[in-house]
Amino acid sequence: MSDTKAIFTGDRCLSCTSCMANCPVMAAIKDYRGPKLVGPAHGRMHFSQEDIETSLEFCSNCKSCDRACPSGVAVSTLNMLRRADYYKTHPHTQVEDMIAHGERMANLIRKIPFGATFSNVGMSFGKALGIFNKLGLAGERNMPAYATTAFKDKFNHIKQTATGKKIVMFTGCFVNDNEPQVGEAFIKVMNANGYEVLIDKGFNCCGSPLVVTGYLDEARQHADNNVARILDWKKKGIPVVTPCTSCSLMLKEEYHELFGEDKFHEAAQNVYDAFEFLEILQERGEFNENLKPLNQKCLYHVPCHLKSQAIGLPAVDILEEAGVKVQTADAGCCGISGNYGFRKDKYEISMKIGAKLFERVKQKDFDKVISDCGTCRMQIHHGTDIKPCHPIEILALAYA
Amino acid sequence: MKTSDVIVIGGGLAGFMAAAVAANRGQKVAVLTYGSGSLPLASGAIDFGSFENLPAHHPYQKIGLKNCDTAAKFFCDIAAQADLPYNGRLSAQIPIVTAVGTLKYSALVPESMDASRLADKKKIFVVNITGLKDFYAAMLADNLKKYFPDKTFEVAKLDVELLGGRDITCMDAAQILTEEILADALKTLPASDDDVIIIPPILGLEGNSLRAAIKSQLRAELIETTCLPPSPPGIKLQRAFVKYLQKSGVKIFENSKVIRGVVDGKTVQGVVVENAVREKIFPARKVILATGGFYSGGIVMRDFDNPREPIFDLPVFFPTGADNWSNVQLFSDKPQGFSMTGILTDANLNPIDENGAVLYENLHVVGANLGGVDKIFERSMGGIAIASAYKGAIL
Repeated sequence: MSDTKAIFTGDRCLSCTSCMANCPVMAAIKDYRGPKLVGPAHGRMHFSQEDIETSLEFCSNCKSCDRACPSGVAVSTLNMLRRADYYKTHPHTQVEDMIAHGERMANLIRKIPFGATFSNVGMSFGKALGIFNKLGLAGERNMPAYATTAFKDKFNHIKQTATGKKIVMFTGCFVNDNEPQVGEAFIKVMNANGYEVLIDKGFNCCGSPLVVTGYLDEARQHADNNVARILDWKKKGIPVVTPCTSCSLMLKEEYHELFGEDKFHEAAQNVYDAFEFLEILQERGEFNENLKPLNQKCLYHVPCHLKSQAIGLPAVDILEEAGVKVQTADAGCCGISGNYGFRKDKYEISMKIGAKLFERVKQKDFDKVISDCGTCRMQIHHGTDIKPCHPIEILALAYA
Repeated sequence: MKTSDVIVIGGGLAGFMAAAVAANRGQKVAVLTYGSGSLPLASGAIDFGSFENLPAHHPYQKIGLKNCDTAAKFFCDIAAQADLPYNGRLSAQIPIVTAVGTLKYSALVPESMDASRLADKKKIFVVNITGLKDFYAAMLADNLKKYFPDKTFEVAKLDVELLGGRDITCMDAAQILTEEILADALKTLPASDDDVIIIPPILGLEGNSLRAAIKSQLRAELIETTCLPPSPPGIKLQRAFVKYLQKSGVKIFENSKVIRGVVDGKTVQGVVVENAVREKIFPARKVILATGGFYSGGIVMRDFDNPREPIFDLPVFFPTGADNWSNVQLFSDKPQGFSMTGILTDANLNPIDENGAVLYENLHVVGANLGGVDKIFERSMGGIAIASAYKGAIL
């Protein structure tokens, strides 16, 4: 599998421009020189001299270029490796430090009594007083509000019947800190399918926000820690399943593209997206089909990082089993791409990219918008005032 | 994973056409793509080549003239539904102006590029856009003069403030330039009813509405040329297909590299997609192989004398062998050996072996991976793509 390491894929580039034709950032602004020039072309040329491609900062790591490439070039990961190089000689700003380290911040806040509440109040004041703007954050946005109780703390109080079958849930930061109800729905669904859900408090953030902000060494530490744990679970025959599509992409594919060692690939084989896991149960005839018919219509925004996984659209097939009519939004990238759209200087680009999706959502010809990705959900909410949920929350309703 | 009526492997012209035809017939279709296909790199014009004196193994012999004709009409209808009108028919020879100022004749061309309208015009304005790369109006005009020695040519320079940021391609300009900017700039040209303005393809990336709006404000005719990729006319065509497929409930799965088929005797039951960590089976009642030729990985050749079809390991017709693999004179009047390399089929477009026996009864091979003729040399690449796709989808 060493040929999937990003740096070995650059030479496959034929300069066909497919990535340019599909890059949402290029379509939104003309400052970005585009995936072809910044990724494979510059990624190869820079060995000859010290050279910095400044428009690298515009890549959102949505991975549309990787999916457009007919030759298997890991274009966006080449960009992220170059970005990490850039920050070896350039300091990070305060806001970059902040948006890359959401996990650290949440952990600090949770140590303070009522920390989450005060922090949420503080964030609304911060926004109102224009402090976000001064820091370099997009003042137009709400920062994701902290849940009163983190999912990992709630978890101990959730009653599950011990069965022989177990999975470990990789919660992801957003589900843990901001939307624990997704985690609860996840447990309900997995329990209904005969699986006891474990969590592993030793897991770190998958590292996606670190990678896109150029903290590659830290991301590597997270990867080493997470992968050692995933391999331990693998030895015990217990799969690791996550409801967050950016976490699953990082664990399954990006670690190996970035760092190349075989252990990342070995661990990846024990990692599943939540609906991918359920579909595999279905194929084995082990899926609990005792579903209450829901009779609703959902508009499904398929996250970029789910498309990249090449696992089909398992949530569509499974929700249809529960009588849900699922219409895909087919409106491209939402534009937020993790912490990208939270940066003040990227906010407008992010909203311009999302415009087509917002327009689609505003047609309101459905009961609920669904999307597997937490930041996609935030972006849709921000752009339309319609609050989406995770598809697993819909499926949980069908298991009365 | 639910079973599809039809799985199409490949998201180029042939794959999208096959998916559209199958969906139009009420079938549940999934398209598996790896890479965004050839359309964003294409001119948008469709060549059928000649139907005269075809060798027995020519794809048109299997497809039949009637299907070619129906395919052409179906194609134009899909485009028209996305407000992308095409001119032409199977036997038409409509000129379009290339980026270097030669005329290229095609059977089906986007209305915006149809250069037959040049014939009765007196003066031709060729527009240079400041800041637009890879478009040289003076060279274009010099070359085009050879076709129209009696007409007056004028190279006009328009500054629509594209400078700043990256080097601007036609695709960029097509996304950046608004109706107002373009119309205001073009209105400054002293062009009358007797004249024509030739511009690079920078009139939006969807349909023909921007061109129509601008044209209504001009007295002169307005014609787009071809350009280097990424190519707006090709992107418009791709978007027209995607729009039709989405509206018809076709699922397009990106990044899905098919590595082999699931077969039982002469029946294909599905295909296997390999992702970063595991394999996934997509079950199907029928499979259309539209993976392209050498350029797209539909045919590969690791060892020089052994071209392979990598998914079903179908026999590959290799008429010239390694010795006559290429004709060193690239622009001569003889075809290229490597270009004739591909899969041979029966009349149902089912792949056949050396003895002509069908290998899989519900697998149909369409598009550039069909062997036997040099499609570039005979200028039939697009025609064979849509006609074989049509036939493969109706069987």
